Amino acid sequence: MHEMSIAIEIVHQAERIAREHQASRVDEIEVEVGVMQQVVHEALHLAFEAAVEQTWLQGVKLRITEEPLAAICDDCQNTFTPQIDCFVCPRCGQANARITAGDQILLKSMVCQTPEETAES
Amino acid sequence: MKKIEVVENVLQANDAVAATNRQRLGRAGLLAVNLMSSPGSGKTTLLEKSIPALGPDLPCAVLVGDLQTTRDAERLGPLAVQAVQINTGTGCHLSAPQVSRGLDALDLDGLAFVFIENVGNMVCPAAFDLGEHVRVVLLSVPEGDDKVAKYPTLFQRADAVLITKMDLADLMEFNLERVRQDLARLNSRAPVILHSSKTGQGMTQWLNWLRQQRFPVTSGPA
Repeated sequence: MHEMSIAIEIVHQAERIAREHQASRVDEIEVEVGVMQQVVHEALHLAFEAAVEQTWLQGVKLRITEEPLAAICDDCQNTFTPQIDCFVCPRCGQANARITAGDQILLKSMVCQTPEETAES
Repeated sequence: MKKIEVVENVLQANDAVAATNRQRLGRAGLLAVNLMSSPGSGKTTLLEKSIPALGPDLPCAVLVGDLQTTRDAERLGPLAVQAVQINTGTGCHLSAPQVSRGLDALDLDGLAFVFIENVGNMVCPAAFDLGEHVRVVLLSVPEGDDKVAKYPTLFQRADAVLITKMDLADLMEFNLERVRQDLARLNSRAPVILHSSKTGQGMTQWLNWLRQQRFPVTSGPA
């Protein structure tokens, strides 16, 4: 259940970013989860609901997308797409992969109501 | 409504502290070893055997992560090493800030190794950088020879893999070849050390590996 630690961080960051943009309302937070993080989407949704409760972001929708893996072979420098259960370089046959994508959790975007919009409407 | 593009690492707070931990440990000239495995695979026993064997020239300290109790730290007490228990409460893994506070409680001066015994868990600890220099994964024979394939992310990132409790291999009909084949698909970089704290099998290889890992840390730029 490292999803709870992740959910708490998402809420902290989203609150800060919303403040920086002087958002009066946040409707959606988009998070991209790397395959290597082994995040269970359902568990992250549940953890997020708990973490966001009693913050002013309560009710915001969490959208989770997945970032696929990419790697460079440290033996032959070949760039390839590993699978979660196989990191063998198709060129040299070694499993000495340095992961270049699919290893992070990124807060990608937020859909917010900003002061300019409030002024326009 | 307006969409704000952000692209921020959600674990950046943890990763920043991890980087600070790594610098601090490197400056102190010691090697930090993150030990990860399921509960009961023999992490504490390995330390009970390894620390005296490394000898007084290579002094060690231990940070022990557990949900509850100070039992592991108490076990290490008789070795007269600095041992700090970190209770995570309900947390299933150690985080970099917890390790940072643990390091505050240690006198790092003159140490050669800090062992970080992570919470017993084969999933969550893999996702959190603690500021360690090397990651060691233990797989004990009684857990079964199918675990490498079941927990690929932990083994993919390992710098060394210890198969522990090898004295039980025959009894448990442990298929070592299966483990090697599964590891070869994930990680051909990490040496596989066959180990038994009971018989002493693999102890020399393990200690030599540990000693070798110190060179990049101690000979690197200050």
